[in-house]
Amino acid sequence: MRIPDRRFALYLMTPAALFLAVFVAYPLFRLISDSFFKISPIVGGPRDFVGLDNYVHAFTSPDFIGAGWRTLAYTLMVVTLEFALGLGMALLFTMLGKASQVWRTMFLYPLMIAPIVAGLLWKFLMIDNFGLLGSLLNQAGILQNPNQIGWLSNPDIVLFSVAIPDIWLTTSFMCLVLFAGLQNIPGDLIEAARLDGARAPALLFRIILPLLRPVIAVALVVRGIDAARAFDTILIQTNGGPQSASETMSLLIYRTMIRFGDPGLASAMGTIYLLAMLAIAFVAVSTIWRPGKDT
Amino acid sequence: MSTIQRPTIPARKTSTGSSPADIGRRRRGVNREGLEAGRRSTRTILWILLTAALVLYGFPFLYLLFTSFKTPIDTIAVPPTILPKEWTMANYVNALSRSGVPASFINSVQTAVISTALSLVLAVPAAYGITRYKTRSGRVFIMAALVTRMVPPVAIGIPLASMMASVGLADTPIALSIAHTTISLPLSIWLMSSFFEAVPKDLEEAATVDGCSRLGALWRVVIPVVSGGIAVTAIFAFLASWNEFLFALLMTAVRSQTTPVVIANFQTQFGLDWGSMTALAAVYSIPVILLTLLLQRKIVAGMTLGAVKG
Repeated sequence: MRIPDRRFALYLMTPAALFLAVFVAYPLFRLISDSFFKISPIVGGPRDFVGLDNYVHAFTSPDFIGAGWRTLAYTLMVVTLEFALGLGMALLFTMLGKASQVWRTMFLYPLMIAPIVAGLLWKFLMIDNFGLLGSLLNQAGILQNPNQIGWLSNPDIVLFSVAIPDIWLTTSFMCLVLFAGLQNIPGDLIEAARLDGARAPALLFRIILPLLRPVIAVALVVRGIDAARAFDTILIQTNGGPQSASETMSLLIYRTMIRFGDPGLASAMGTIYLLAMLAIAFVAVSTIWRPGKDT
Repeated sequence: MSTIQRPTIPARKTSTGSSPADIGRRRRGVNREGLEAGRRSTRTILWILLTAALVLYGFPFLYLLFTSFKTPIDTIAVPPTILPKEWTMANYVNALSRSGVPASFINSVQTAVISTALSLVLAVPAAYGITRYKTRSGRVFIMAALVTRMVPPVAIGIPLASMMASVGLADTPIALSIAHTTISLPLSIWLMSSFFEAVPKDLEEAATVDGCSRLGALWRVVIPVVSGGIAVTAIFAFLASWNEFLFALLMTAVRSQTTPVVIANFQTQFGLDWGSMTALAAVYSIPVILLTLLLQRKIVAGMTLGAVKG
């Protein structure tokens, strides 16, 4: 009569599993199979099997290699800055204790803002001529002329500029997670270290950071994955330009698919991109996190 | 809701028992434990730092608000001013009366509501199945759900769009909300699993002894206990859909366009109307900011649970 627990659990999971199979796994399968074809962008157009041609094309294309490096640089920059700023804020909130609670909440507000709005807002702040950032730096005497730094028009620095909204949006997340981790460090441990004469840097690097390791690993991996997929903020700020200097992988795939109308090549790029993300995430989790090993 | 607990770092790393910490706290006689700064001068410096950081952090959005009240000419004045020289609602009137804008709001709400409902209906039983009956299939499933987080939307957006078109759902809020659910469902399963983990097993056992079926126990006993967690998950699912742009760009044309796409289109379609853009961005962001600030404690608990749990 009564179905066994194991089967009952399976029944509970089935609808969600089916949903993910149909709407994630199947499109992924389509993506991978498309990557072996030369596909005409016209609906119902020809579709010819070309084997690994698209992959060869991708790996020999300077656009693709460039976008790969830029995505890596962008991700490392965003995650590093967010981590440093987030940790600083988390320590600040922890050191101020309960009294800072209201401000901790206020600090979260960018998390609710759409990335597209954040990109737009920072574009408005950094744009040449009427951007406020250059003008304020000029008034403060740091820049001789408000347009001295072409935040979004200088190919050498644009990758950094387009990362700013992303950092602004999600430093709060990093701070929140690290703050939660800090709350779980036993107070007597800190106390004992202080009694032993540990100074602040030793306290931070020898005690706090090692204890936070699992939390840091999760935060870095979660944010790293998101940063590597960044699209909205960059698209609205520069659309990948100038001269492709801010074109990351998501943008390149989008452009290859929509503008150049080459779904086969875009699919090959998407497949490589996904595999690279999986590999990097796996390595990151197993090296930073080191589950089971003592710190 | 009492079921939302402060997340813990895996016990093996930090557990030293709670009693030594308590003794330490009592010994010092004040409620400043561990890292909390005690000295007055230190605290003053910290407050100054915090204020500076918050001003810097809050300023960009305030500038967006100020700009939205400027006159169109002021908006792109050189050099720019922070406050409007003359406060006006013109940008709001312009932005909201533009064709397609009111409709896009309705689309955004519709899409987000459908996607949230779909996420919850699928995630709640799945997460319960994973946490309550620790089966192998459950472990495999939660890992698979996490891997889907890594799938770049740009990679599955086009195949998804053509799937929707082939069943006659092209350019509808339903199609877009399904796409959004591919993002929010793994997150919801993850969050709900941590909330169910916090519910003591005795609760349903007592219910089943009293003659409740397992499904009945879930529905009548467990769900009410985790209702706070469900609310948090719902907010996350809603926000994920509300703020999403790439799927919306790939999968909607005119009929089902959501506001983020409309905001982005302002750049090309209507020249560079910064004033209207900032007004529309403000109108779109403020409700969710207020909502989340109101519910902040629950949200903070949910965010940290989801991330710290890993």
